[in-house]
Amino acid sequence: MPLIQVKDLYKIYQMGNTEVRALDGVSLSIEKNEYVSIMGPSGSGKSTLMNLLGCLDTPSSGDFYMDGINVATMTDNELAHIRNKKIGFVFQTFNLLPKSTSLRNVELPLIYNGEVKAQFRKDLAMKALNRVNLGDRVGHKPNELSGGQRQRVAIARALVNDPAIILADEPTGNLDSKTGEEIMALFDDLHALGNTIILVTHEEYIAEHAQRIVRLLDGKIAVDELTKKKKK
Amino acid sequence: MGGFFWENMRIALSELWGHKTRSILTATGIVIGIIAVSLMSTLINGVDGLFENSMKFLGRGNLYVDKWPWFGDEDWWTLRNRPRIELDMAEDIEERSTYAIAVAAQRGRSADLSYKEYSSEGIFINGVSANYPDVSTIDVEFGRFFTGSEDRTGAQVIILGSDVAKALFPFEDPIDKEIFVGSSRFRVIGVLAEMGKFLGTFSQDAQVIIPIKTFNKIFHGPWGMRRITVKVPEEHIEDAKEELRGIVRVLRGQKPEEKDNFAINQQKAFRQQYQGIKLAIGGTGLVITALSLLVGGIGIANIMFVSVKERTREIGVRKALGATRGKILGQFLIESMLITASGGIVGLLVSTLASLAINKFLFPASMSFGVAFMAIALSATVGLIAGLAPARKGSLLDPIEALRYE
Ligand SMILES: Nc1ncnc2c1ncn2[C@@H]1O[C@H](COP(=O)(O)OP(=O)(O)OP(=O)(O)O)[C@@H](O)[C@H]1O
Ligand SMILES: [Mg+2]
Repeated sequence: MPLIQVKDLYKIYQMGNTEVRALDGVSLSIEKNEYVSIMGPSGSGKSTLMNLLGCLDTPSSGDFYMDGINVATMTDNELAHIRNKKIGFVFQTFNLLPKSTSLRNVELPLIYNGEVKAQFRKDLAMKALNRVNLGDRVGHKPNELSGGQRQRVAIARALVNDPAIILADEPTGNLDSKTGEEIMALFDDLHALGNTIILVTHEEYIAEHAQRIVRLLDGKIAVDELTKKKKK
Repeated sequence: MGGFFWENMRIALSELWGHKTRSILTATGIVIGIIAVSLMSTLINGVDGLFENSMKFLGRGNLYVDKWPWFGDEDWWTLRNRPRIELDMAEDIEERSTYAIAVAAQRGRSADLSYKEYSSEGIFINGVSANYPDVSTIDVEFGRFFTGSEDRTGAQVIILGSDVAKALFPFEDPIDKEIFVGSSRFRVIGVLAEMGKFLGTFSQDAQVIIPIKTFNKIFHGPWGMRRITVKVPEEHIEDAKEELRGIVRVLRGQKPEEKDNFAINQQKAFRQQYQGIKLAIGGTGLVITALSLLVGGIGIANIMFVSVKERTREIGVRKALGATRGKILGQFLIESMLITASGGIVGLLVSTLASLAINKFLFPASMSFGVAFMAIALSATVGLIAGLAPARKGSLLDPIEALRYE
């Protein structure tokens, strides 16, 4: 049974008279511990797909099974639980809380995880921040950080609950190539540890870290291929 | 769960801190409401204490046969034309009543007192029978009360209220000194213990007591109060009152169709009157409280709607990271309850200060723990109710819509 299975997924926005087909019949299945890059030109539907896979958005039509369970049948609380424990989401626009420090931002998923006691939160959040090399910026608020540092806070926050699936929408978009490589090394490690990783990128050399590349064009899957890494 | 609560308290506090002016303005209605309700109950408590204290002077088992009723709406002229109370009825009442424990006659008027260069004007002269201590709460602190034979013989003996004693004898022991009541000489045989004021006005300590026979001898004319006090067992007071009414009617030879031409007063009348006043004070206070809490609550609801709207993205982020509807609901409810409870605490502080002032300058009053608890609980409840609709709105937001909100 695939970890993620989508069939004929459509996401259509009605803008007045014109309709925008952000996703136009996407079928895809991703196994546990797969490492997938999603590529495609701007506006091709990558973020839309990620939001659906992250259980944040609902499709106009089509089915989405996670671990064999139809996501459409899940209750609001079950979805919240999945978003909290199972998925670590790195947003293209970071979505950090502007008035909270890096540490507070990274602690957020732990607050909604009923199993982590308050006294362990800070330690876990510190660990996650250290993993992205931000141990010295815990007290900074987002507007006191550089773009790349904010991106790394967003990554730390996605990792902190130790989720099985990591969905990262352009996680290296604001990073120089050296820091980008460091983050990719982190994802590579997580993959080696058994996590499933799906990331969106515009850079071929980033995409090559994955085993598989899905290329979108106008809301449809144009190419679904294995990388050299997998072929090896 | 506990951790979640404190986390939300922290968020709520920093939100309120971040919007200080807004929070203070919003909480003002609640502050006023809580001041109204807590001050009102403190006032009522204080007045209650005052009232109960005064009621001690009127024994619960006492029936007072008077010309004038204490309360009522009878025609003033009819009342005025009633015959005055014949004090010799006291003996007949004592004989005929099956309930009476003691029957005391009393006359009163005011007069001037003097001793050497000291004088007291307009002092209430209380002429009573020798069994007066049985029907009243007076307490002779120094010396003694007069005896039955002193009354029968019209002895010129006097017992001073504590204030009178202080005024006439600032440096001397009053016992056995001779003082003047008007132009008659009296020998001081006793001094009463301090009693305080009746309903905050009539001081019980500015009176003197003399035997009623002596009173009759000195003061002529129709003026002044005349009263017969009948002490009966408290539990039979209603039956005893009916019996007494009958006895007095017979003694006065009233015809069956005639209305009573006298009044039988009792403490209950004061109590009923007082309950009415208390209800009026309480009712007014409650209306003020309800109105200000209502207006305050609407303000809170409004500001919470604004807050939810302003923080739509934040709600989106929280939901994306796994916050359930319940947690978002809880977060905003805690926030609105914190605003109103803080308002409640401020209101409580103000009324505590006010009640300290009342206590110092007016009458004994203190804020009870119950009132304080009630005020905080009430204000938090207002927050809970006012926050419900906005919090629900926030909790139902769609995560992706909320994240896209600009
Ligand atoms: N809320 C919305 N309402 C209307 N149209 C939308 C909405 N969200 C996305 N779209 C449209 O859907 C299409 C896909 O958008 P999406 O954000 O998925 O693109 P993307 O592939 O992530 O692009 P980029 O590389 O620039 O991030 C775009 O044409 C966009 O205009
Ligand atoms: Mg995108």
